[in-house]
Amino acid sequence: MKLQILQNEQIAGSVMSIKIDNPGLFTARAGQFFMVKINDFNYPFLRRPFSITYFKDYIEIVYKIVGEGTSMLAKKQKGEFIDMIGPLGNGFEIVNSKKILLVGGGIGFAPLRFLKEELKGRSFDFDSFFGFNTKDEVCVDFGNIATMDGSYGYKGSVIDLVKDVIDEETLIYACGPSVVLSKLSDICLEKNAKMQVSLESRMACGIGVCLGCVIETKNGMKKVCDEGPVFDYKEILWEKM
Amino acid sequence: MGKNVNLAVKLGNIIFKNPILTASGTFGYGLEYQKYMDLNELGGFIVKGLSLSEKQGNKPPRIIETPCGMLNAIGLQNVGVDKFIAEKLPYINNLNTHIIANIYGTKDEEFIEITQRLNKEEIISAIEVNVSCPNVAEGGSLFGKNPDNVFKLTSSIKQNTDKPVIVKLTPNVTDITLIAQAAKDAKADAVSLINTITGMVIDTKTKKPYLDNKTGGLSGAAIYPVGVRMVYEVFENVDIPIIGVGGIYNADVALQYIMAGASLIEIGSANFTQPDISIDIIKGIRRYLADENIESVSNLVGIAHSSG
Ligand SMILES: Cc1cc2nc3c(=O)[nH]c(=O)nc-3n(C[C@H](O)[C@H](O)[C@H](O)COP(=O)(O)OP(=O)(O)OC[C@H]3O[C@@H](n4cnc5c(N)ncnc54)[C@H](O)[C@@H]3O)c2cc1C
Ligand SMILES: Cc1cc2nc3c(=O)[nH]c(=O)nc-3n(C[C@H](O)[C@H](O)[C@H](O)COP(=O)(O)O)c2cc1C
Repeated sequence: MKLQILQNEQIAGSVMSIKIDNPGLFTARAGQFFMVKINDFNYPFLRRPFSITYFKDYIEIVYKIVGEGTSMLAKKQKGEFIDMIGPLGNGFEIVNSKKILLVGGGIGFAPLRFLKEELKGRSFDFDSFFGFNTKDEVCVDFGNIATMDGSYGYKGSVIDLVKDVIDEETLIYACGPSVVLSKLSDICLEKNAKMQVSLESRMACGIGVCLGCVIETKNGMKKVCDEGPVFDYKEILWEKM
Repeated sequence: MGKNVNLAVKLGNIIFKNPILTASGTFGYGLEYQKYMDLNELGGFIVKGLSLSEKQGNKPPRIIETPCGMLNAIGLQNVGVDKFIAEKLPYINNLNTHIIANIYGTKDEEFIEITQRLNKEEIISAIEVNVSCPNVAEGGSLFGKNPDNVFKLTSSIKQNTDKPVIVKLTPNVTDITLIAQAAKDAKADAVSLINTITGMVIDTKTKKPYLDNKTGGLSGAAIYPVGVRMVYEVFENVDIPIIGVGGIYNADVALQYIMAGASLIEIGSANFTQPDISIDIIKGIRRYLADENIESVSNLVGIAHSSG
């Protein structure tokens, strides 16, 4: 499906926001993603997976420039068309709980931004915690912020910021680097909290056929693309991530 | 325009409405693509490689992108032949296209048992035998590297089915025509080539091979000239129908394979970048035939070999 780019601009250090026209042909859930074709040629060969950051009359994707594909994407202009497949994946399962926390590490805030809208839509209370390396990378306009160098908000990691808030009545929705998620998982286990995590893995098809993106879980190999990307943290074999 | 062109091709006793199939391992069990295209428009599709029992496959990471292609070491994860028959076939049994089963094993007996089970399934049109897998009896070297093994294996499979048998060849050999000849001598109905080309990517951060399996199979646009060359060689030296596969991403590359000698072709990794790419390729071939005033796609098979 080719959709028109409405805007593609830098929102922080190496972080871009691309807004794409939503023709209203489909619905989406927070935690789902699109497979984006970077251009019409064979290079780069594979599509890139990106979470949905906002979904209404336009689709927003917030992405970090990390390699060739994202660098090329950053050069796309307003008015150009972009080929996307989706929404794909399971998305977060929205359930109420006494204490709901959104926890993001770096660009991991992306799917949580959409989740925030869904939670607000259902009038669920929640708190948000996001961690970045430096002030330059901060790209959210809500929640409690930590930076590793202390240049913005709390000085330290998002784990340090959030850990004392977690108790047995907590339900966490988390996304970020696997080291952060793994640490968070230890804390949740210890405090008997619930957590849904959105994971990343290299994928070729995004639709469940290539079997390239599997991770090892307690229930065998699971595909991040169509059995995820959201998993119950207790199912993941964190030492294998 | 509006000229009538004939895309139908015959292989053994089956007629394909067009020469476009989708390659094993890149098309799931067909079901997954129903959302993106009308499967009935395909000449046929080939399901993920089936083994005797369910397989978990290799540990991750299993794939890495390369320039115009990718390296994979899935390790042939699949549901196993019985689950395929019980749980997948019922959902694809009312289609007006050919379903081809791709099979693999670690010893001859396994291939034979899978063949016997599939032979009872009427809706399976043909069996494609993946010989790019380790032969346990030979210390794990690939079946497909040794003409004698290919001959023996193909002969026993042929004795256990009346369905057409396609032997899928590995390009990781010195002379692919010798293996194709062995398949022909064993009365295979066709050969398909090429499977993936073995490669490696090293992660310079960890200083180790990126894939857990260390090596993987290279596929995608980057490999098509290798496939076209091998199809050309087999057509020149062995009298057996050929199915061309490897890096096909548009009608032009598909036509190159046909001109090199392929009667049919398979679309592989390109399905990942565009799920309905086969439909575009069918349209492109039709357009080419009309533009060039060629009545039937069969007239093009092997045409690159003719002198003058
Ligand atoms: C479900 C899902 C959702 C994601 N959502 C976002 C998001 O909202 N914002 C964002 O900035 N990033 C997101 N990512 C990560 C994003 O896909 C990668 O950063 C991107 O593919 C890198 O492409 P590149 O060409 O710039 O990098 P390169 O390193 O040049 O890419 C090489 C290859 O590796 C793959 N790759 C590299 N890093 C990753 C990664 N972390 N995850 C998966 N594949 C990777 C690429 O797709 C490509 O095939 C998500 C990943 C997944 C799996
Ligand atoms: C992810 C993946 C899985 C594959 N699985 C199988 C398989 O199960 N059996 C098989 O015979 N070939 C398998 N192949 C090989 C393809 O069918 C095809 O021969 C090869 O990829 C070359 O074609 P391509 O470049 O168009 O992808 C697989 C290829 C890929 C990329």
